[in-house]
Parts: sequence; C-alpha cells; structure tokens
Amino acid sequence: MKISINWLNDYIDLKNISVDEIVDKLTYAGLEVEEVDDQSKKFENIVVGYVNEVKKHPNADKLSLCKVNDGENEYSVVCGAPNVSAGQKVAFAKVGAVIPNGGMKLEKVKIRGEVSFGMICSERELGLGDNHEGIMVLDPSLKEGLSFAEAMEMNDTVLEIAITPNRADALSHIGIARELSALFDLQLKYPDVNLKESGKKSEELASVEIKNSNNCPRYIGKVVSNVEIKESPNWLKKRLKSIGLRPINNVVDVTNFVLYEVGQPLHAFDLDNLGGKKIIVRDAGKNTKFTTLDSKERNLQSNDLMICDTNKPVAIAGVMGGENSEVTSTTKNLLIESAYFNPSSIRKTSKNLGLSTDASYRFERGTDPKITKWAAIRAAQLIQTTAGGIIAKGEIDAYPKRITKKKVFLRYSRIEKILGYKINNSTVKKILTKLGFEIKSATKEKLTAMLPTYRHDIEREIDLIEEVARIYGYNKIPEVSKISVTLEEKVDHSALNDKVREFLNSLGFYEIITNSLLSEDIASRFGSAINLLNPQSKEMSHLRTSLIPGLLTSISNNIKVNEKDLQFFELGKVFEKVSAANINDFKDFTESEHLLLALTGNRIRNEWLEKDSPFDVYDLKGFVESFLAKILPGVIINLKSMNELESKFDNSFRIICENQNIGLGGNLKKEFCTLFDVDQDVYMIQVDLSVLKKINIPKKIFNELLKFPKVYRDVAFVLDVDITSDQVIHIIKEATTNLLHNIKLFDIFQSESLGKGKKSLAFQLEFFNSNRTLTEEEVEKDFRNAIKTVEKIFNAQLRGS
Amino acid sequence: MIDKIDKTRKSFDEDLSKIENLTSLEDLRIKFLGRKGLVSQLFESLKDISKEDKPKVGQALNQLKIHTQAKFDELKEKLEKGQKSSDEFVDLTLPGRKRVIGSKHILTQTLDEIKDIFRGLGFSVYEGPELESDYYNFEALNFAPDHPARDMQDTFFVTDKFLLRTHTSPVQIRLMKEKKPPLRAIMPGKVFRNEAISAKSYCLFHQVEGLYVDTDVTFAELKGTLVAFVKQFFGQDIKYRFRASFFPFTEPSAEMDIWWEPKGKQGRWMEILGCGMVDPNVLVNVGIDPEKYTGYAFGMGIERTAMRKYGIDDIRILFDNDKRFLTQF
Repeated sequence: MKISINWLNDYIDLKNISVDEIVDKLTYAGLEVEEVDDQSKKFENIVVGYVNEVKKHPNADKLSLCKVNDGENEYSVVCGAPNVSAGQKVAFAKVGAVIPNGGMKLEKVKIRGEVSFGMICSERELGLGDNHEGIMVLDPSLKEGLSFAEAMEMNDTVLEIAITPNRADALSHIGIARELSALFDLQLKYPDVNLKESGKKSEELASVEIKNSNNCPRYIGKVVSNVEIKESPNWLKKRLKSIGLRPINNVVDVTNFVLYEVGQPLHAFDLDNLGGKKIIVRDAGKNTKFTTLDSKERNLQSNDLMICDTNKPVAIAGVMGGENSEVTSTTKNLLIESAYFNPSSIRKTSKNLGLSTDASYRFERGTDPKITKWAAIRAAQLIQTTAGGIIAKGEIDAYPKRITKKKVFLRYSRIEKILGYKINNSTVKKILTKLGFEIKSATKEKLTAMLPTYRHDIEREIDLIEEVARIYGYNKIPEVSKISVTLEEKVDHSALNDKVREFLNSLGFYEIITNSLLSEDIASRFGSAINLLNPQSKEMSHLRTSLIPGLLTSISNNIKVNEKDLQFFELGKVFEKVSAANINDFKDFTESEHLLLALTGNRIRNEWLEKDSPFDVYDLKGFVESFLAKILPGVIINLKSMNELESKFDNSFRIICENQNIGLGGNLKKEFCTLFDVDQDVYMIQVDLSVLKKINIPKKIFNELLKFPKVYRDVAFVLDVDITSDQVIHIIKEATTNLLHNIKLFDIFQSESLGKGKKSLAFQLEFFNSNRTLTEEEVEKDFRNAIKTVEKIFNAQLRGS
Repeated sequence: MIDKIDKTRKSFDEDLSKIENLTSLEDLRIKFLGRKGLVSQLFESLKDISKEDKPKVGQALNQLKIHTQAKFDELKEKLEKGQKSSDEFVDLTLPGRKRVIGSKHILTQTLDEIKDIFRGLGFSVYEGPELESDYYNFEALNFAPDHPARDMQDTFFVTDKFLLRTHTSPVQIRLMKEKKPPLRAIMPGKVFRNEAISAKSYCLFHQVEGLYVDTDVTFAELKGTLVAFVKQFFGQDIKYRFRASFFPFTEPSAEMDIWWEPKGKQGRWMEILGCGMVDPNVLVNVGIDPEKYTGYAFGMGIERTAMRKYGIDDIRILFDNDKRFLTQF
C-alpha cells in the first residue's frame, strides 16, 4: 500500500524525523517498506526563477535571450517559448538538472552562438501535463530560488508498504500514523470533525433495514442534499494522486480519501435513484445478475450479501457499487454508506466473483466497526467543503449486532518466558497504550487490556506479547550464545537417500531435479494420474506417475545442445490414484519415493586410448549390481529377466529381493523415446525406494581372511545358443559340492566352426575350503561331475575335445 | 697364482667402471666370464697348482668368480633398466583414462550444508508427504478457513480437502503428533506454489523447516540459533537483522534478512527466512500444553539460498538439468 509522508503529517508530527528512520522503524515493526519514492528527487536543480529581461536572440527569429534570477545569481538562458516575458516566475532548470520528461541532463550549451545556462521548462518537460505551447508560468508570489518541488508542494515521499494479512488496521494513513506514534512515542491526532448540520434528520430522508445481521452487523447512512458534483479541489486531487489514485469527482474523491485516511470503505449512492429511499441489506437470492460500476454484469450466488433498495439491488455489499445508483454529474442528493461487514462473507463473495477491490480487500481483513460513524461524518464534512450542500442531522445507525471490546490479560512473567528477556513493566504498558489498548487494571504480575475494535488479529496474551516485542524491537532482544542439546533419539529420514546419491555420484551419475507436474497425456501413460483442480496450464495439469517423463525431457534438452553422453538420476515422489474414486483420504492415493537412473550415449567418446563405445544393457546391469551391493550390503538380490508385454522396456529385468519387487529396468522402448524426441538408446533402472527402505540389512560381521590356497579349473562348453549362462551356472552348482565357491563366465564365442546355432561359453570355477588345503582328487571329482552333468543336461560338448 | 687372481680382479673392476652400454658389457663378459675368458683360464691352470696350495687358491678363485659375476649382473640390470626408459617414451601430457564422478544437484548440495550445520546443533531430520490434506497444510497450522492469510500461498488443489503442500510446515504437525517433546528437528522437502514460471519463481521449490519444542524455548534462543546458522553458512562477517512479520502458525513472528552485496551492485537487505515462536493454537492442535511447553519454528527456501550463494539469477536453470550446468557443481 502507498503511504504519503506529507499526508501522515496531518495526523502526527514527523517533521523532525528522517525518512530513513521512518522506513527502518516501520520495517522492523513488521510493516515492511518495499520502496521509497522521493518525489522531489526528479526536480533536483529545478528552482523558481525570476525572468528579469527578455531580448530577441541575435541569430534566430524564434528564440529569445533571457536573464533569469535564481535568488542569488543571474543566468543567461536561451528560450524558444512564445509566452516568455519579463517579470514572470518560471520553473528554471539549472545546469546539472535532469529534465523529468525525457531524462536529458542539462549542460552549459551554445545555441546559435549564445551561451545558455539552463532551461525554462514547460509543463510537459516537467512531467506535469501535456502542455507544451509555452513555458509554465508560476504563481508570482513564489520566491525565486525556492526549490520547484517545494514551491509546487511536490516534495512528498511515498512509501510502498507491504501489509501482512493480519494488519487490516494498518491499511490507512491513520493506521500507519498510530503505529508511528508508538514507535517514536509521538501524539496521534484525528482531524476535527465539526459539522454544519441543518435541515431534516437523516432518518426522515432515508431508511435502512438489515435482513442479515450476521453478515452486516452495522450499517450507517448519512444524507447530504443539494450537492454540486464537480472536479475536486487541488489539495484533494494531490492527496489521491500522491498514492497513485485517479481523481474522478469531488464526492467519489472524498469517499476514496476517507478510505485511505482511516481505512473505512465508503460508498455514495445517488439518493434519488434509491427506490423507496431505502437501503435493504440482504442475501442476493437465486439467479441474481447485477451490473457493477465497471459496466460488467456479474452472476451472484444466493448467499452473497447485497445492498438493495425496495425493488432492486444497488451494490454488492463491501465489494462494488452498481451502475444504477452511482453518483453522476447530475446527482444532487447523496446517501453515504459506512458499514461493517462480516469479513468471511465479503471474502467469499469477492472470491466467487474473482473481484478484489480496495473495499473488499479491507472488509475481508476486518475493518473497525467503531470507526463507521466517524468516517460517515468525516465524509459528510469533506463533501460539504468540496461540493457544498446541506448535511442532514444525525445518521441512520442500524446496529443490530453490537460489537463490544474484548479484554485480555497479560502476565509480565509470560513475556519473559516467551522472549527470554525481561522488558520493563512500564515500557510494556506504554507500548500497549500507544497502540490503542486501554489498560484496565495492572498489578505487579499482570495487566488487563481492552482491545481496540480495529485489531481483529489480537485475541490472546501471546498476541499482546508480540505487540510489545515488535514495538520494543526484535533487535534489542539478545541472542543467546549457548544452546542446550537435548538427548532425545536422533532420527534422520534422509540418510538412505543421501547414501543413494553418493554411491551413484561415485559411479559417474549426476543428480537432476525435474518438474512434478505433467500433462494428462504423459502422466496417464505411466499410471493412474491425479489431476489438479486449478492447474496453471495443460502441460502441468497432473501429478507425475513416474520419473521417466522428467528424465526423458532432460535427456532430450541435453541432446539439443549436443550433450549426448549422459548418466543421470533423480530421486522423487510419484503419485497414483488407488481407484477411480475421488480423493477424500490418504488411502485413496499412493505417494511413493522413486529412484530413476538412466544411461544414454557413449561410455567412451573420442578418446585417444580407446575406441568409441556406446552404453549397453550390460553397463546398466553392472551399475545396478555395484549400486545395490553398496546400498543393500549382505542382501541377496536377484536380477530376473522377464518378458512382459506391458513392460516399458526391451531386454527388461526385475530387481527381486526377499521375494519383493524393488525395481525394474532395461532399455526403454522406442515409442517412449520418440515421444520426447530422443533418438538414441536409453537404459534405465527404476527403483521403488519406499519398498527398498523396508528391506532388512543384515548386521555386518567380519569374515576371517582365507588362509588356504584357492584352486581354479577352466572349462568351455559348446551349447545351443538359446541356453543362458545362468542356466549352466545353476546346473554346475547343483552338480558340485560346497567346495565350489565361485563360477565366473570369462568368454563367449560364436562361429560357424562350432556348428550352426551353437556357441561356446567358458567358465572359471573357483574351489577352496576355509579350513584346510584341498586335495587334487576332491577338486577333480567335483570338476568332472560338473562337466558330465552339463554335457548331459544341455547336450553340450566340451570344447577342444 | 694368488697375484694373478688379484690382478684379474683389479683389471675387471677397472674395465667395469668404464662400461656405459650393454654392448661393451657383453665384451667384458666374454673377456672375463666367457668359456675361454680370463676367469675360466685361471680355473684351467688350477690343475698345475701343488696339492697343499690348492685349497687356498681354489677359494680365492671361487671368490673372484662370485665377485665378477655379481658385479656383472648388477651392472647389466642397471643398464637394461636405463635403456628401457629411453626406448619407451611416455608422454605425460596425454590425457589420462577418465573416470567420471557425478555430483549431487546444487540444491541437494546446499541442503546438505544446511543439514550439516543443524545436525551439529542437535537437530534430527524428518520428512513428510508432498500431497497433503488441508488439515495438515493449513488448518492445524492455525490458518482459519476463509482467512486472507491463505492467499499468502497460492495453492494447487487436488480436491477441496487435498492439495500439494505449500510449505514444509505440515511436517511440524506430523512430528508433534507422533512424538512428545523435547523435539528438535529440521524438515526438508519439496513444496508447490501456483505461481507463473518466470526467472524469479517456479511452480515448485524446496524448503527446510526447523522446529524446537521443549519446556524453556525462547525467542532469544531462536535468534541465537539462527545467527549461528547464518554465520556458518554465509560467513562470520555476515550482517543480519530480524524484523517483525506474520505467519498464522507462529507468534511472535519474524523474518530474518541478510545484507547482500552482489559484485558490482548496490547492497541491500534480503529476506532469507521466516521464523517465530510456535503459536499456542498450534500446540493445542497437536495436544501439547502451551503453558508448559514453548517452541520455535523457522523455514527457509533452498533455491533462493543457493542462487544467492552461487550468483544464479534465473531459477529455471535449476530445473533444466543441462549437463553444462550440472557439471559445474
């Protein structure tokens, strides 16, 4: 919200306080000043000048040569304006000034042979209007040398303050002034409102009936007759302009002025357009359409609160007035509305309509029910000064739900308990009093304060403690330098994920983070996707069901910038509906944590010592085996190839552990790659970390180092090509004793010379016994059994025999 | 005879000392150790030696043989080694066999630093769900229904009761409901805001929440803890300030700013975190007696912190996952 410092000075004397101090104190107290606009800055080096003499320029017909006095010196200035003449007071921009419109910096220049020390400005050059017919002629009573900003009263500083949603009371100049009165210990003064009331009573000229007193506890109507709608006087226009508002006419401007003065939104009705001269505050009822001031037709919900006359709605309560009763240039008689509405009712209506106004913004945060009357009187007073007219006696004050002040007690000991610091009792009382709290009683231990009706955010002792602390100053509360360490069990939910990251980093993988929101089309391909009620766009309308789309997008983007060799992984949540039913409970959806890792491109590219070599599925398997051995040490893991039709992978396999499926992988089917413009093979593993985390990791126990020699035997079989290495290994294990500890496949060979449809697999068998040295005979026995069985079962032949 | 043996030894040693390459060493071998070499010749003449002198001379001869052979072997090995190094030239300017070590995402790295500092201060690490209920995300945190405070966080709704969490604060509620004080934990995670994607904002970001509940937790301790944090994270000389603010779930509430002076730009205060004393309503909501226990909470955005630390000015680059970016950290 914009706050003018000049305007603040109407209520509090800030003359001796610098803008910087004001900005600091407000910011520290929770009213954050986001911007400071010193309006006089743009008029630097522009002063009131007195034109002493005007002569024709010797070398140019249309130019004049002037002598301008700035109160101290006289300067020669070349001027091109037809209206310049001796004796005028003008806006004189001296050398060094920056012309507000256009930003030209003035220097001493020669114009057609004559030196000019500055410029006499037009309204347009000063950024004050469109007039460029001639120079701006100032009030002759202004003293030369006075800064132009001061002369024009444009020396204001305007603050942009971010008001948090709890501080409805600070949404006005008086609200901010009250805060400053506490911060600087100054006196706050409300403007005097002495009315010249005459004629009939307001009640005789109009009436008010409240049908929904819950949503409208108070409604004040004040009548002003016989006004003249015209342009506002300068002082009023200037106030509104200073905070960025556009003046409209005297009556509308007054209502806006009072809104920004004290925070009470007002509305002025053309009383002659109010049917029955009556205001009825009621719910809209079914199928109500209403055209607001901005000429838009609005559809209202039946419980939206409306201001009506005897036959039609005339305003949406607290949000916006209607076209049918607005003040126009011919309006003569006014009804000023000053009401207090239920905040949540206004908020609902404003949300439903998607219409937020200065009025609704304040009503939904909570206005002051007690200020309504003062605001109505203040508006009447200002309308009379700007538009003339007769103020009817008194007000119509419909107040069916009286709002009373609440009491809250505050223990001094509690302040210390919360803050860890003792603030003097008298300081506490002073701060609260300055903020408008009325101290009812006070003992050594505690005080009782009456809460002002403008502080909807204060209800409890803790709220008072905050008030005291923030006005006292958070920075004055010391920082403890010692903290106690408590001995409760320490938990780390992120420990496993951190390990996953580190192991994968050491295998050469980079971590990525991708968007959790996907399009419906993409999300649904990978699971039963959950949609957002209010998505930003079609591309981000559903929660991700898989990490695959995000990773493929990243791969695709990298390929576009010629980064083709990639090892990426992501850890993240994926979401799925459990059934088609709507989500009403945590049971209706799953949120699981996935790990997805991917390889694509070349393992080696353009190296002098090795040939280019693309990643393949064995790289993937190798990475997975190394990774799982570290993340699940001592756990038996089975990578089981599978041929599932619905799988997203070719050459796919599942990661099985303790009979649980913890993940799957393979090379991603082409159709998915194509979907993301990826034209190279992508190998992926997807692990469900939620499942992996539940697997028991056996406690590590030291294994005695082997003291006896190992014995190795090599063997190669010629087999049918479709027999897998695992099948052979399995049979060798079955045919041997526990002396055989390892079987390593060390060669695969396929050639016509072996026979059609044949291949050779060569294995190295490792035998040992941890308690003794093996004998030749026992090894030989196992070895022969292995060979015999493999030959028999697979119809294999020993190679080379 | 003994003289002869001595002479041969001397001449061998002398010749040996002059040898510089394997060819001349081979000549030397032939001269002394060959089948017809000087040493063999001496052994030949042993048969002419008298019986009584034989053992003595024989012993001396044997020593000569051992000596010459050993010296010869030693030099041969030396020369062979030397020759190898000059024949096989190793160009160490050639690039080595590369082994890539990947890296954590810069946001994870930043979070790691934050976690390390708070772990050192005795904090545990808890996590919670991203798809949350209105109850945990708002209601239990003292956001009244229909209060404009809800507008502070643009929310993605899944239904009217479920939403993508807008902050990590719901994890506070889950933790306080699950365990009894004393509780001291940080709670990192992903959060979502329905904000248009631009250089300054993204539809999701990461936060770390902090919570400490015990019998004597004070605002002064909150300040001390956070000051310790910013000093460790940004450096001991960091300038900071606390100013009042508003969050429905803390009272009193504050924001902490640090003084930030990017290179070549004018310095200014920048908000880095929100904090405050846990609102008594929140404690009541989770069944903790606010008269007995007090607590503090804080929350900070990781993106903003990382961007500040590394001089990144467009948040979107964090989620582009461009390898040229990822490999920088």
